[in-house]
Amino acid sequence: MRLPSSTSALLEKAKAGDADALSQALERNRRRLTVLVHFKLGPRARQLSDAEDVVQEVYLRAFRAIGRFTYESPGSLLRWLSSIADHVIADRARYQGREKRAGQEVPFRSPSNPLGPEPLDSRTPSRLLAQQEAVARLLARLNALPEDYRRAILMAKIEGLSTAEMAERLGKPREAVALLVFRAVKRFRAICEGAGP
Amino acid sequence: MSEEEREKELAEALADVLDGKPQSVPPELAPELAALGEIDRAIAPSAPLPERLSGHKIAGEIASGGMGRVLLGVDEALGRTVAIKTLGERWAGNPSVRARFMAEARATAKLNHPNIVRIYSLGPAGEPPHFVMEYVEGAPITHAAARLSFEQRAELVRKVALAVEFLHERGILHRDLKPGNILMGADLEPKLVDFGLALDLGAEQRLSRAGDVAGTPGYLSPEQAAGLPQLDARSDVFSLGAVLYELLTGQPPFQGGTARDLLRRIREEDPALPRRIDPAIPRDLQNICLKALEKEPARRYGSAREMADDLRRYLAGEAVLAEPAAYARLMSETVGRHLRDLDTWRGEQIISEEEHGGIRKRYERLLEREDAWIMAARRLTLPQVSLYLGAWILAVGAALVAFFPYGLLRGAPEVLAVWAAAAPTAWIGVRTWRRGNYRVAIAYLLAFCLLAPVAVLVTFEELRLFAGLTRGDTALELFYRLDAAKKATNAQLWWSLAAGLPVCWAMRRFTRAPVFSLMFAAMAALLYLATLLRMGMLDCLDRDPGRFFFRLIPGAVLFLVAGYVFERFRKPDDSRYFYPFGVAFTWAALSGLAGFHKPYSDWIQRLAPWTRGQEEYLFLINAAIYFALDRLADRFQSEQVRMVGRSFRFVIAGHVLISLWLLGLNSSSPAAEQHLFEWLLVAAAAAFVFAGIPRQMKNFFVSGMLFLAIGIYRVQQEVFPGRAFWPVSLVVAGLALMLAATNYAALRVALGRVRKRH
Repeated sequence: MRLPSSTSALLEKAKAGDADALSQALERNRRRLTVLVHFKLGPRARQLSDAEDVVQEVYLRAFRAIGRFTYESPGSLLRWLSSIADHVIADRARYQGREKRAGQEVPFRSPSNPLGPEPLDSRTPSRLLAQQEAVARLLARLNALPEDYRRAILMAKIEGLSTAEMAERLGKPREAVALLVFRAVKRFRAICEGAGP
Repeated sequence: MSEEEREKELAEALADVLDGKPQSVPPELAPELAALGEIDRAIAPSAPLPERLSGHKIAGEIASGGMGRVLLGVDEALGRTVAIKTLGERWAGNPSVRARFMAEARATAKLNHPNIVRIYSLGPAGEPPHFVMEYVEGAPITHAAARLSFEQRAELVRKVALAVEFLHERGILHRDLKPGNILMGADLEPKLVDFGLALDLGAEQRLSRAGDVAGTPGYLSPEQAAGLPQLDARSDVFSLGAVLYELLTGQPPFQGGTARDLLRRIREEDPALPRRIDPAIPRDLQNICLKALEKEPARRYGSAREMADDLRRYLAGEAVLAEPAAYARLMSETVGRHLRDLDTWRGEQIISEEEHGGIRKRYERLLEREDAWIMAARRLTLPQVSLYLGAWILAVGAALVAFFPYGLLRGAPEVLAVWAAAAPTAWIGVRTWRRGNYRVAIAYLLAFCLLAPVAVLVTFEELRLFAGLTRGDTALELFYRLDAAKKATNAQLWWSLAAGLPVCWAMRRFTRAPVFSLMFAAMAALLYLATLLRMGMLDCLDRDPGRFFFRLIPGAVLFLVAGYVFERFRKPDDSRYFYPFGVAFTWAALSGLAGFHKPYSDWIQRLAPWTRGQEEYLFLINAAIYFALDRLADRFQSEQVRMVGRSFRFVIAGHVLISLWLLGLNSSSPAAEQHLFEWLLVAAAAAFVFAGIPRQMKNFFVSGMLFLAIGIYRVQQEVFPGRAFWPVSLVVAGLALMLAATNYAALRVALGRVRKRH
């Protein structure tokens, strides 16, 4: 399980220039971030680029910008990555329709680019996560939820916000948020149970 | 405590759990917490990797699924990268699952196919269960689909289908074909992975264990979705269809919020038409895809190879065999609704009777396309045309042998030769039909229907059966009149045609293809003519052709009655081919009678001496007969009989107008009579223009217009030569008519007022 202290320790090492430590810290958040990005992408954008593509690019930017990151609490790495993801998605939307951005696609380490970072999946340039069936199933189930219920679950479980933080972000009383989350979880449970014949 | 308060309390409790405040959790929340636990499991970082398996250094995880994980291994000695499939810990402890895992791996390790992933070795006994296989650098087959041409996508699925056929030939069903199990790299060579390994668990068991298993069941076949234990190759064909569907459209054919919903859709619903999702998808590929996705296994391709063959046909630009029944289902629902609407509109008189009939007929023709192979057989493609051309040349060649003597072919060799030509067509036809290649089979069987009477005729000739002459007179024999022809007798001709009838009938029974009813009707018509031959028709034609045409009348009645009887016995596909022969016989008989039958013209001369027995008057009487027949046919409920009536009605205008024209041309004696016909032609032509209105007979309108112009010209030449008032009055009349038509409504009201006043 993820231990805050070890994550902060990894991040300390990472800021000191240890790429492996950063890779490890990021890997811990990989699936979580993928789910988050998947729903950040609109249905149209989802056709154009995979969540994994976005995550890959987020990590790339994280490698470059790790110096600017400050660790405050267990959730801050994810929050930071999530905000990078917002930028990546906005950039992609801007570039949409334009030809592929030459050179920007694969600046990972390669013979022509020896200083680039090691890609997280050094094995293939691929969407290995597409094969992570548990994640795929989770996405399908979340997708079956009404919009506001899905947002509630994403915030509570994936982003790991507390109900108080959610109340602040949604501009609603905490009790209302608790009720929303409860109903959303109930519906989510119904979808999970409906999954078996 | 009210419902609402209780809900609030539970919500607070859940919020506390989520916020990480430890407290006692109400037991009602257990299922919710379990569901949330599943989220945690899904997004948790993967379990730690083993250091080494089978001597390979483990470098990472490639994928994880219900049954276990696929890890990336490096053989340091060979410098080779491999994939290592492990059985999940949950299953590793289960001896029977473990045994089957290894047994399947062992069985599949023997396979060697370029599109199937190779298995290198099995894990040794001391290590967790696993096996080492070829590492395929690539993504699921659907991943890059959008960037490929449709031909490339078809080629991919063809390769996969052949690989699946390779498995089937060795008794292995894949059972879990899905894009994630068909990987493809930049070389566009698809590789099947994971075959035969999913069979341990039935669909039921897989899905009921929600947490464990195989992610999406979206590619399962309906029989898998229904949990049927007996699966065959066609189950994999369905999954191939689902993969092709996703390759074409970019989305799986069946989607559903919950697995139960999804399984229901797989069992019950037709997927959306691919071309509706993307109109650029070639129709042939859509056909192939939908045929593979038929719910009923019997309607799918019988094997993966058949599907591959159809894909090959598409790639080669040949006609694809698939014509999915889904179209008929799709249309019959909509068309049924439209037909009901049509009936309502007719009732409300929004549309005319004729429009109703016309549209209805077209709709029904759409639905007839259910006989898919007929459509395929009618489509003109190179192989199709060649097939029929070949059949025709074969039949004509055989006919030559029957009709003309050849020095080399005489006696028994000749009989053998024709039967050697005829018998294989029947044999190949029946065999091809049984194999389901209906389009080709029909061509062979049709050829046989033509060849059989020819072969029988040759046999009779050589065996000198039925060699008796008609009334002992060679002058009555058809073949004796042809120079250099063989001297087959009318009786031989009659019997060989008679022998053809049961052949056509048997073919109709065997194939249930209506085209053999057409053959039957045509052969029956020939048989009728042969009967007339045996009754001395040639003598008639020589001396009194009218009598020959008189003898056509029973034939006309016979065919019309036969058509009606078939229709009454609910065989509309047979009856529709008898009516046209009845109509043709009627036309020929009545026209021939009017033209050649002496007693007919004698009769009219006696009845009305002023006609001088001219045949034009007889054609006018024929027109009256057609009119009566049309009226008669209209009394029947049957659409086909009304069609017969319509074909009689169709010729009325031509008969009347041409007769009047000829009467005007031919009558030279009294000028008054000639003038009468000139005026009659103009009047009749104008009458036909208007007579087109009630039944929307466009040909009445067109021929009326044409003959009106001819009549006006005739009046100009014969009645008012050189008189300017004729064209002037025509111009005035035309303009007046146009103005009247423009103000039709106002005129009617005014006329009505005038009538009231009187």
